[in-house]
Order: sequence, then C-alpha cells, then structure tokens
Amino acid sequence: MSAATTDTPTPSQGPTPYAIKPPSGVVHNPHVRRFVACLALGFVLALMIGEQEGTQQDFGLAFREAVALPRILIFLGIGILVFLAITFWPRIEHFLIRPGIRPLFVGLLSVAVSQTLLKWSDSSVVGNGKFGTLAGKAADTPQLAPFARAYFTTGVAWAALIVVVVVAAYAIFTGQRAVAWVGAGLAVVVGLWAFFSQGRVVSLLQTPDHSTGALVALLGYLAIAAACAACALRRTETADTKGFIDRVFAWRPGMPLAAVGIVVGLVSLGVATWFSPQNEDLTLVDTASFFSGHGLAPLSQAYLSWLGYLLFVVAAVLAVLGCLRRDTRIAWATAVVGIVGAVLTLMTLYSTSSLGAKSGFDGASGAWQNLGGGGWFAAAAFTILAGAGYIVLSVAHDVKVGKLSDLGSDIVGQARQVPGMGKALVLLVVAAALFYPPTATEFWQKVIVSEIGIYVLLAIGLNVVVGWAGLLDLGFIAFYAIGSYTTAYLVGALPITPPEWLRLPPLAAIPFAIVICLIAGVALGFPTLRLRGDYLAIVTLGFGEIIRLVAINNPANFTNGPRGAFGIPQPSIHLGPLHIDWGSSSLQYWYLLLVLIGVTVLLFNRLEQSRLGRAWAAIREDEVAAQASGVNTVRVKLLAFAIGASTSGVAGVFFASQIGYINPDNFILNNSILVVAYVVFGGMGSLPGAMAGAAVLTWLPEFLKDQVPAEDRQMWIGAVILLMMIFRPQGLIPAKRRAAELHGLDDQPREETRAVPAGEGMGGGR
Amino acid sequence: MTATTETPAVSPSEGREIVFDVNHITLRFGGVTSINDVSLRMYRDEILAVIGPNGAGKTSLFNSLTGVYTPQEGSITLAGRTGDAPQTVIGKKTHVINHMGVARTFQNIRLFPALTALENVKVGIETRMKAGPIASMLGLPNQRREERESTQRAYDLLKLVGLVNRANNLAGSLAYGEQRRLEIARALGTDPGVILLDEPAAGTNPVEKRDLADLIRLINRELGISVLLIEHDMKLVMSVADRLIVLNFGSKIAEGLPEEIQRNPAVIAAYLGTSAEEAEAQAEAQPELELIADETEGMTSLAESTEPDGTSFDPTTSTEEESR
Repeated sequence: MSAATTDTPTPSQGPTPYAIKPPSGVVHNPHVRRFVACLALGFVLALMIGEQEGTQQDFGLAFREAVALPRILIFLGIGILVFLAITFWPRIEHFLIRPGIRPLFVGLLSVAVSQTLLKWSDSSVVGNGKFGTLAGKAADTPQLAPFARAYFTTGVAWAALIVVVVVAAYAIFTGQRAVAWVGAGLAVVVGLWAFFSQGRVVSLLQTPDHSTGALVALLGYLAIAAACAACALRRTETADTKGFIDRVFAWRPGMPLAAVGIVVGLVSLGVATWFSPQNEDLTLVDTASFFSGHGLAPLSQAYLSWLGYLLFVVAAVLAVLGCLRRDTRIAWATAVVGIVGAVLTLMTLYSTSSLGAKSGFDGASGAWQNLGGGGWFAAAAFTILAGAGYIVLSVAHDVKVGKLSDLGSDIVGQARQVPGMGKALVLLVVAAALFYPPTATEFWQKVIVSEIGIYVLLAIGLNVVVGWAGLLDLGFIAFYAIGSYTTAYLVGALPITPPEWLRLPPLAAIPFAIVICLIAGVALGFPTLRLRGDYLAIVTLGFGEIIRLVAINNPANFTNGPRGAFGIPQPSIHLGPLHIDWGSSSLQYWYLLLVLIGVTVLLFNRLEQSRLGRAWAAIREDEVAAQASGVNTVRVKLLAFAIGASTSGVAGVFFASQIGYINPDNFILNNSILVVAYVVFGGMGSLPGAMAGAAVLTWLPEFLKDQVPAEDRQMWIGAVILLMMIFRPQGLIPAKRRAAELHGLDDQPREETRAVPAGEGMGGGR
Repeated sequence: MTATTETPAVSPSEGREIVFDVNHITLRFGGVTSINDVSLRMYRDEILAVIGPNGAGKTSLFNSLTGVYTPQEGSITLAGRTGDAPQTVIGKKTHVINHMGVARTFQNIRLFPALTALENVKVGIETRMKAGPIASMLGLPNQRREERESTQRAYDLLKLVGLVNRANNLAGSLAYGEQRRLEIARALGTDPGVILLDEPAAGTNPVEKRDLADLIRLINRELGISVLLIEHDMKLVMSVADRLIVLNFGSKIAEGLPEEIQRNPAVIAAYLGTSAEEAEAQAEAQPELELIADETEGMTSLAESTEPDGTSFDPTTSTEEESR
C-alpha cells in the first residue's frame, strides 16, 4: 500500500542523514495504525464512562474500573467497528443512500433508547422503573398475561428488535419489496406487542402511570415500519426520505393530523387510564361501570358509556372523509364535532372527578384530581381531529384566493412543500401544550412551569433583540429582575411600600412592569446605540450586573438587599362573576403562562411580518443601506430593546408571583447567557425556533437528572450544544431570513428551479 | 482646472429650480483630502453625471450629499422635491436626508440579502408610513391598509425595473444585474425627488446596460425624478446625461454638455494621466469618444474582472453583441 504512494520518482536517494525514508514495516502500515488508533479510542471511551473519582489512597481506581471489568470488551468492540466503518466506508456509503435507511436508524435508536434510558413504569414497586428492572420483575409475575410475560423474558425484547432491524436492513440493502413488507408488518406487530405488554403491567400495578418508554418504543417500531414501507414504495434507488414523506403528507392536507388524532383517540378510549383514585386504575369502560348508579350527570354518564365512542368515531370518519375529498362542508362538520367532543370530554372529566370526591371514593381528592391520561388524551384527540378539519378549510381557502396552486387529484408530482403542514404542526404543539401537562407527574409539571415556560417567554423576548434586530444582549435577565422587583414593590413585599392607592394584586402589575421595562430598555439602548457586536455585548453584560448589584446593595432600603422580597401573593383574578385563585399547583400556573405565551406569540408574529419587523431585518443586514433607505435606525433599535425588555418584564411578574419570593441570586449573569444560548440553539430570528430552543435546553437537564451522574450533567448539555453548532449552526428551526446567511446562497437554486406552473409563481404576496 | 466655473456652463439652466446647491465643500480624512473645494449645482429634472478616474472623490461626494460623511468646509443645500424650500444638508442624519427626498444606490451593492426582493422594496416604501408597533401587533385597520398599499406599490416598482417574477426570491440569490436594478427599485420606493446612482452599470452586460439607460431615462422623464449619476461606462453616460461634471483628485476639473466634455483637454489629460498640452495634441489625432472609451475599459475592468467572460464587456465588441 505504502509503496504506491512513495514510488514517485524522487532522485534524492543519497545517504543524507535526514533523508525521509519511505515508511515501511508493520508499524507504518496505515491500516495497522488506524486499527491501533480505533482501539485506543474505545479504550478512552471506556475510561470516560463510570466511576471516575479516585481516592487519596487509591489513584488507580478509575483506571481499574475501566479496564478490569468485562465492559472493556464492549468498548474495544466499538473501536473495531469504527475501524471497519472507516476502512470500508466507500462500500458502506453505497448502502447508506438507499431509501428508508434514515427512518431505520431513527427507529433503531428510539427503541434502544426506550429500553435503556427511559422509564417504563412510575410505580415505586419496580425500583427505577427502567426497562431492565421492570422486565426482571415482570417476567417472574405469574399474574401477568402470557404474551406480556414473554416480551419481558430476558433477552426477548432485544432479540425481537434485532430480528426486526435485520429484516428491515436486508430489505433495504437488497431492495426486495416482499421482504420489506414483511419487515413492516413485523415491526408493527413487535411495536404493538411492546406497547400492550407494558399496558398489562400498568394495569396490574394499579397506579397512575406517566412513563414514556413503551410509547417511544412503539413509535420507534413504527419508524422502522415506515422505513420498510419507504423501501417497498420507492421509485428510485437513492434515498430521499424527506421527499417521500413530503409526497405522502402533501397527498391530502390535514391527513397527517387525522391520523395522529385517530391514534391518540384509540389509545385514550381503549387502554389509557381515565380515573385513578388511590388503588384503582380505570380505563374508560371501567370508569363507566364504576360511576354507574352514583348520580353522575346524565350527559357525562352517556359520554362514558357510549357518547364518547360515538363522537370519536364520527369525528374520525368525518376527518378522514373531509381530508380525502377535500370537502369544505365535511371539514366544517369535523371541526364542530371535534370541538364539541373536546368540550364534552372536559365536562365529563370535571363531573367524574368532583363526583368521585363527593362520594368519598378511596383516594379521590376533588375536582380535576385523580385523573389519568385517558381523558386528556381524548380531549387532545378531538382537538387534533378538529384541527384536521381546519387544515382542509384553510388549504381550500388558500387555493381559492390563489395563494396555492390547485392540488391535483392524485399525489402531487414531486411536491416539496406540504400545504398546511406548518399550521398542522402548530396545532399539534398547541394540543400537546393544552392536554399533556395534566398527565405529567408533579415533578414534570413543575419543570414545565418554572423552567420551560418561563424561559420560553424570555427567549421570545430576547429573540426580538438578538434574532430580529441583531443586537447581542448579554444582560437580558436584568429586565426580568426589573419586572420581578416592580411586582414586589407594587404588592408591598419590599421594605418601601407603595402608597395605598397604588397597591395592586400581582397580575395588575403586568402593565406597570411592561412600562417600566420599556423605559429601562430605552435607557439601556440609548447610550449603546453606536455600539455593535462585541462592544454592545460587553456593555449589556455590564448593565445586567449593575442591576443585580444594585439589588444586592439595597439603595435607599428599596430592594431589601441579598434577602430580597418575600411574601409576594399568588396571582388571582376577581372580575365580576369571575374568580380565579392560583394556589400551589403548578398546573394552574401553566395555563396562566400559556395564555401569556400565546398572546405574546400572536402579537410578535404579526410584528415580524410588519414594517418594523422588516426594518429590524434591514438594520441587521446592512445598517448603512437601511439608513439610506430612510430607516430611522435609532428609533428602530430602541424599539427592539424596549419590546424585548417588556416581554422579559412580564416573565418577571409571573416569576415573582408564582414563586412568592425573589432575591438577587435569581438574576445572575449565567441566566442571561443561558437565554442567549437557547435562542441561538433554537434558531436566531425564528419565533418557533427560539421557543423550541428554550424548551429543549431547559428540558434536557431535568431529563438527564435520571440518566447521568449529577456532576456530568453540564458536560452532556455542552456536548449537545456543541454538536448542534457543528452540524446545524442555523438552529433547530431556522428562520427563513437567516437560513440564507448561514447556508450561503447555494441552497437557493433548488427553490428557484422548482417547477412552477406558468402564472402561479407570483400571487399577491404571501 | 481651467474649465472650472462658478456659474454653470449651460445657458438653459438659468432660472431653473436648483436641487442640490453645493458650495466650496472640502472633505478630509486625516491628512487625505478626498474632496477639495468642489462647487456644483444640480437642477430639477436633469440627469447630471459625475465622472472621473478612480479615487477622484465621486463616491465621497455622494456620501457628503447623503449625510454619510460631513464635509469640514462649505455648504450643501437641498430642495428635494418640487417646491421644497432649500434646506441645509450638513449635519443631518442619512435617514433625515432620505426623508427630504434623496434616494441612492451603492457602488458595491448593499441590499438586505436575507430579505426577499419584494421585502427589500417594501423596507424603502414603508419608511414613509405611519403604523407603529402596537398597530402592527394588533393588526389595526390602518396598518392593514398600509401593508396592502406597500405590497402593491412594491410590485409596481418591481414591474418597473423588470423584476416582478423575482419578487419572492431572496435578494442575495439574484443575479448581479438584477441586484443593481433591485437597489434602484428600493431607492424609488422612498418616493424621492432626486436619485443618486453610484455606478449602476458596473458588472452588467451590454444588454443590461442598454436596458439600464432606458430605465434611467424613464425615471427621469416619466417619474420626474432628477438623477445624479456616477458611471464609468462612457457610452452610457454620454447617451443619458444632460450634463457632466468631471472630478479628478477631489477637485472639479470640468463641467458641461457631453460633447463639450469629450473635447475638454483637461478631462482627456486626467484620464490619460498626461499633461493637458500633450493630451490636446493627441486629441486632435484621434476621435475623442473612443479615446475615453478605451480608457474606461481599463478603469471598469476591476468590477468586471469577476465575470468569467471578460470579452463581452469590451466596448469594441459590445456593438456586435447588441446588433445580434
């Protein structure tokens, strides 16, 4: 091998002492060197996992932990696999571009993750609730249905996974359609097997269950089935997964939603828990018989026994029909039935849970308590089905006004864009935001409110400054502090109390916080107008620290120094007949936060598409050109600071009144930097991106709590951010306007060359 | 310096409304004098071209007129739109001067590449609109009306410059010549009384140049906008300009009608880098236009060298191209 490269006619064969000799021998064989390097890689990986802290007496602990255990063989095996992959890459690559390969990987990964990391049960009976622990106990439980016990028998689940993956991979590599269909069927069967086995375990344990393991495994197997289907239905020999998915989804707008709604509805009506006071775990059927004869409201009783099923079947059939025929009347009917179904579901949930408490069922503790996931899933299913109807209507409207070219009667040729897909995703997220949190555990509800929700709101605000106007602000948390302290002052929780007429309940502090943060935003913005980039970042960083230090130093006894403010009342609304008091339940706060976020998103979405949004983009792109086009850059920049700051102020009001006490430690520099990281991670300048970034990066640490040692957590988060910046610098959901900057303009021709039928390329704007 | 005159050389200019009145401005950067005691007048509805070799101070003049630079000495007054009272420009911010009726394009194209062509034009149009952030957030009726108007007007302007089928493409993805035209559309969006075009033909091919000349005439004649033009392409300048001003080393060396300038020995000298007397001798030996055109070829070559096929920009071959 090496001879080939050194055979070039170099006449310098003389006996000069430093002549470069052609490498020879085993040590210099590139394959050998690569092999050694790969083994070393495995060895280093082994060292990185597991016990790392040695003791003063025993420095070699980490080393022995890594080397002496049989685990080392796995890591050396990884090294060998890496070596093989590198060496035979050209041959492997050939297979990696075949249709279905990506979903296969996604599915394999999902199932593997669900069977190693995720919980399969919340019950304290099964220890940490992970698959291994659960399977060990389940296999020895004779009460369990045989099919479920079989799944949990040692090795069976993994063997099933391997069989499915091997069949799928064989089908994909050889391109045999028959085998592909077999693989698809097998994957679906195994996925359902896993799902229902876990269902049996849960009903045996008789405790509410919030675990996601079985669901993720099911989704993983469905992805593998989709991989096989993609392979069987392929038209070409190379992979175009996105194109394939798009074609399927573009076939009938709204169909994806209808499908999701039907799956969620089936799960909810069939297997999910509806009512779970202490020692019960009742599905819909059980709930109906449980409550019969206890004086449940007739409508709710009807819902439990037959109306629920009927409404679901009607909504599902209408949704599918409406999507298939793209009929606006059916779509209207779908939307109406879906909304009625969702409302009835919620009514039923309320009456069952309150009746349960009233009748003194063991463990029932009041309205909206003791509910399992079932009812909420049903409400979500109805909402999603109604959403399918809405998508059909909106696409029909777009076609009518000429924004969309008329969809053909069959699969739209090579459609790249799925009409209504954006709206469908938004609807799914809204449905999840409305109906998922009640089914989550207490812990996750708390995370959803005080981590995810608040930081999503902050990220939306910072996105205005950093993403849209392009002004790097590292002191953003200062406005959050100002909002919090404003609230504390107005409710009288600070040493200096406001005059009696100015004393306000926390929610009424929102307009004041907005105004004060607007002013603070302008105050920060004005002196920094001439600064750009790094310089601006440093000044804003200083501003954030100044606010925090002012709060600590307690000027004029206003901020109460490091002790901060406490006793901030919880929010409440008393308007005429409307009385809402927020107590200690995180769930209530979530819906308040959802309203705040929803309103902000609606307003800001408009703003982005307005002249101000374009002016922001203009100064971000080229300030001189913007000025020459008449943009008043001073005003536009100040508006960015002010609007971003006021959003942060609203978040501050919420934070102060939810948690009840604040002190300067809540507003450290680290938080400012985190918010910037969320926005960048999600996609600068993209509203959904900033929200997704904040949601993912606040969720991740909490998720990792269960998975990795506490001291390693930051490292894993850092690794995720690092990988993101390397492989997807534009963020999770990149902004349309930004994608071009980061991608260069190479991607554009694809947009342009997309065939547009004559006369349809340019309608009246968007 | 022989041809420098305080009063315009063209007689019909007497009594016409003055757009820009520039009196003895001097602009220095440290020790370097970029513009040295230049005076000029620009009249309503004329196409005035500023020419001169590289580094003559043409773009500095533009930047002084639009408030990007502030001259240390001298005065500039502006009556942007017909009937405006003359106001000083010195010390005013760029966007204020823009609102006074001065629009411009840039020598090195400065679009907003991540916005679509339509949005680029709308940015210009919307600086004349009123709806504030609250109206935009709530989608109030007047904001919606403005939004509709600006979209309609942006489409009209894109149609004018021939880019309507590119409306929804990102500006950064447009071809070079298209970007130049988009800049003009964006400038026109601000409803100017005078438009300053900084080398609009640089890097464009002969066909595009001919279209550009038509566009400039259209802007001037149909839209009634005065045009101040910096351009190296002599053919274009001579065909569209009513009047020319020649700068060299920051000073005005000549002013007059196109045919006068072509014969002006000081101008020829400036372009050839020789003394005026030698140039005069040479000028008699050769036709002037070609002489200057040859020189221009060298001057514009920098902008054009980015094009793979440099020959199509050779003035000698350009006639063949057009005749096809």
